[in-house]
Amino acid sequence: MARFSRVHLGRDRRRTLYALIAAILLFVVGEFVHPGFAGLDSVEAILTIASFVGLVAAGQTFVVLIGGIDLSVPWVLNGAAILLVILSLGEDGRALYALLLTLGMGAGIGLLNGVGVAFLEVPAVVITLAMNGIMEGLTLGLSGGLTCAACASYAPPVVQRAVHEPIFGVPAELFLWLAVIVIVSFVLGRTRFGRHTYAIGNNARASYLAGVGVRFTTVLLYALSGLFSALAGILLVGFGGQASLGMGTPYLFQSIAAVVIGGVYILGGRGSYLGAAAGAASLTALVSVLLAMNMPDYGRSIIYGVVILVLLLLYGREEGEG
Amino acid sequence: MPPELAARRERRPFTAHLVGQNIGLLLVFALLAAAVLLYCVFFWIRQQSLPGNFELTSTVNNTMPLAMAAIGQTIVVLTRGLDLSVGGIIDLTNALAAVQIQDNAGSMLAWTAVVLLVGAALGLVNGLLVGVGRLQPIVVTLATLSIFQGLAIRVLPQPGGAIPPSYTAALVDPNNPWALLYLGLCVLLWLAFRRSALGVAIFAIGNDEGAARANGIKVVQGKVIAYTLSGVFAAAGGLFLAATATAGDATSGNGFTLSSIVAVVLGGVNLFGGRGSAVGAIAGAFVTTMIVNILFFSEIDPLYQSFYEGLFLIIAVVVGAVLGRLLRRRR
Amino acid sequence: MTESEATAGGGSPPAVAAVKLAKSFGGVRALNGASFAAAPGEVHALVGENGAGKSTLIKILGGRLRPDAGSMRLKGEAVELHGPGEAHRRGAWTVFQELTLLPWMTVAENLLLGDEPRGALGLIVRRRMSRDADAALARLGIRHIDPDALVEDIPLAARQIVEIVRVVIREPAILLLDEPTSSLGEHEVAWLFDLIRELRAQQTCIVFTSHRWNEIASIADRITIFRNGAEVGTYRAIEEREAITLMTGQRLDTLFPPVPPLAAEVPMLEAQGLAAPGISAIGFTLRRGEILGVGGLTGHGHRELFLTLFGALRAERGTILVGGEALRLRGPRDAIRAGLGIALVPEDRKTEGLLLPMTIRDNLTLAILERISRLGVIEAGAEAERTRRLADALQIKTPSLMQPAGSLSGGNQQKVLIGRWLLAESRILLLYDVTRGVDIATKHEIYELMVRLIGEGRAILFYSSDAEELAHLCHRVLVMREGRIAAELAAPNLSAEAIVAAAVRDSLAA
Repeated sequence: MARFSRVHLGRDRRRTLYALIAAILLFVVGEFVHPGFAGLDSVEAILTIASFVGLVAAGQTFVVLIGGIDLSVPWVLNGAAILLVILSLGEDGRALYALLLTLGMGAGIGLLNGVGVAFLEVPAVVITLAMNGIMEGLTLGLSGGLTCAACASYAPPVVQRAVHEPIFGVPAELFLWLAVIVIVSFVLGRTRFGRHTYAIGNNARASYLAGVGVRFTTVLLYALSGLFSALAGILLVGFGGQASLGMGTPYLFQSIAAVVIGGVYILGGRGSYLGAAAGAASLTALVSVLLAMNMPDYGRSIIYGVVILVLLLLYGREEGEG
Repeated sequence: MPPELAARRERRPFTAHLVGQNIGLLLVFALLAAAVLLYCVFFWIRQQSLPGNFELTSTVNNTMPLAMAAIGQTIVVLTRGLDLSVGGIIDLTNALAAVQIQDNAGSMLAWTAVVLLVGAALGLVNGLLVGVGRLQPIVVTLATLSIFQGLAIRVLPQPGGAIPPSYTAALVDPNNPWALLYLGLCVLLWLAFRRSALGVAIFAIGNDEGAARANGIKVVQGKVIAYTLSGVFAAAGGLFLAATATAGDATSGNGFTLSSIVAVVLGGVNLFGGRGSAVGAIAGAFVTTMIVNILFFSEIDPLYQSFYEGLFLIIAVVVGAVLGRLLRRRR
Repeated sequence: MTESEATAGGGSPPAVAAVKLAKSFGGVRALNGASFAAAPGEVHALVGENGAGKSTLIKILGGRLRPDAGSMRLKGEAVELHGPGEAHRRGAWTVFQELTLLPWMTVAENLLLGDEPRGALGLIVRRRMSRDADAALARLGIRHIDPDALVEDIPLAARQIVEIVRVVIREPAILLLDEPTSSLGEHEVAWLFDLIRELRAQQTCIVFTSHRWNEIASIADRITIFRNGAEVGTYRAIEEREAITLMTGQRLDTLFPPVPPLAAEVPMLEAQGLAAPGISAIGFTLRRGEILGVGGLTGHGHRELFLTLFGALRAERGTILVGGEALRLRGPRDAIRAGLGIALVPEDRKTEGLLLPMTIRDNLTLAILERISRLGVIEAGAEAERTRRLADALQIKTPSLMQPAGSLSGGNQQKVLIGRWLLAESRILLLYDVTRGVDIATKHEIYELMVRLIGEGRAILFYSSDAEELAHLCHRVLVMREGRIAAELAAPNLSAEAIVAAAVRDSLAA
């Protein structure tokens, strides 16, 4: 009995460790395939790309912890990216207003998802898939398929700097991600909200009977997921300069893969954001290694799927043993 | 002989039960009728005439891929699962068809069979992972969606290929709504399925997996078959899509994941499993097409299409849930 | 009279035999080398406390569970069952305690599942199904159940009957019945027993479990008594008092601690004309220092009553008063604020009670996080301190409070569930079947805890499926039938027999 417990308690941390070790191994492998791969510049670049996945994965972690899922990531992210450039027109003066409105849009869409799940009792897959469609239609329709005059604007310089500006030689984006890791881990680990999240993920009915505000918490978690998608969209425009159509599409699979790699239990209740962040890093490292090996685009898509399945099978076995 | 337990209760006639248990089906046909009516009104306003054979044919032909995908989705949803890989299977089979089918009867028949088998194999992968691997359907099919989409692009990197006109004529005759015959066949198959041991098993699994198992039903086998059938129907959808477009596109199937769920929900199939009919889902598919038609005539930018699909999905789910709750309260 | 037999009497091989079967769930041993045998044409009762392993044994014999150790024989043949289907093929059919009907299918579809009438092309003929089902029901004397109704639309007692009929029409050689009478009224029980006698005459072997001694005595040819996962012995006839002593391992008067009388009439929880889905016209007063029992057949509104009092079900009519003040409950949180605590133990103990994978600490403080956090951040020191003190007071046996709750034994899990409300300073405890599935020693501890809690000025509303328990622990007992309070039993008239009698009284008369 005691042994079982120790294994159990260690599992989250162990998976985080696996993900980190996988990332390091991949850098070593990459160095062999493509000398310079594990150099400082290259690692920074890869981690920066991983950070966008990591930010979306933060939102995904929140909802997966209660056994939900957010399929509205692609077009919330894309919509946010386009909304930012349209609102700011690339001017720093309009940046704050554009940022607030864009983040608010993300949180608002997430909130609607949450209301659908918590109050209308629509399955999370259905409501978030529908919301993704709604955002796709709105984004395409309102921007005329990204043909509008403002659509070609650049991200405000301040947003671009928030991503690229080196601090002690490291891009600011990585500090941003570090801050998110610290804050999200603290919220999940130390606060009432975090405890409630895990409780709902373990057993929503029992939590409700213990006085936990299940609906309120659920709505908030989905709102956070929307917020993080929007944040990732904003930073991606800052990274690339301009918005494009379909830029959010890869992030759905990547965020779910990161969450699964990081050991967040897909039915909820177990896992940590640190794990998901490590998952994002190792996933991005994997993709970079494959790119260094001249793996074509479609290969990536196959790899995401295979990685998710293999890990689900491995972890599923472990759950069964536990 | 045991004693009489209680006074005989008045029995409602069989048909009364049938109506009560098929509210969802009746609703979707009412919805379809309303959509057709609205479409006719718009058509009259624009063209000063009623839609005729051409409009009927193009509506049927445009609906065929979705109707197929929706039938497959229905079977999976009945087991309380969900198949998000439908779009990927359509992508891949559509690409295969466009690349491989040659303009001779042998090639057409052979490749039709191969493509359906490929669909079955893809579905089987899903089924084994969900049934034997006991993994969550949503994540499994999301992962295989990614894999299938990748494979589709491998098969057909750029939109292209060609579908022989005779193949198009055989599947979706552009001049007459013969494709309705395929649908009729599907409805017959469905009615048989509903009255087969397999159908009973799949409905039982969706009712209550544990109870089904206690009743000696082979739950794993049932799930594997459900996903395999979903793969076959998605592949049929891929063929119809290729035939309609007369060419292939490895990404044109992506939207079918969402729209197949829309059709299933509109068709009154319960997302929590165990209740619903593929006939409803086919009607749901037609409603979806009619909505697109109506949007076209009301001069709404087609860029908004997924907006309306998403919106109708939410409305359908919410209205369905509210109606269900009302019916329950009345009892 | 205490003739104990390991094998069935007579020369013919037993129809069903279990030899040293063992089964554990997680760390909990449900069966621990259990054996018994029953012959064709015999009605064999398995009796024992909740948690003695009877249901597990029946599930193994019915092919739903696989044993960890031991063997079994059906019709004299050693078998290993890989599923219920295999048991069916060997002639063993089971009526499970938690019904296994499919809710969104019709009565007819359920009755004939897997054995449907076929027509052309081997397809099921649905109209004939309805007719066949009706005929099958009529043959067994049932005319009040509509074969075309959906199972979810018929009452629990009717569902239990459908479950029985479904198995009986397969003409089993071995019929296993797990608590088949738990929601049946007097008439229906009489019907079932007539049916059992008829089957016995046809040489069917019938193994059944029941809580009600009268039923067991009236129909069983032999009785095997179980305690802590193993049999104590098999008897042809045995007195109830002696059987209970064997079942519990101690005499009745030492199992239940003395319950102090009420000191004063201080009402703490009152319900007036309370109605909600499943209950109506509920009125009672729970006083300080009182254990008020709630009893009756399963499915007659107890659960709904508890959930309504706790705000988890919306009351349609009536008032709930706490300390004389009317309460407006929008959810459990309002009930908790008003000083109510609920410990609900559902059949599988996993759905409404503890969060098993989370730590004991997390489970204990879940309802009071607001009180031990500042600006939403949990104060770890205060949390550790409070939980440690409580765990000591309740003697929760665990190396650390950071262990998952699932690592605790069943009894200690119940203590955590009750402990949560002690931390929340709940004055009124709603205990729903908290002694279900725990061993005797722990039961005794829970009883003592309950007595201690009312001594501290709390009040307890206590539902139990065990009438004996209610009769010995409660000041008064409310017996519910069809969602209403059918009887209130107090001191001189309070006994297990009286509770059962009030519960089963003609639920079909209406």
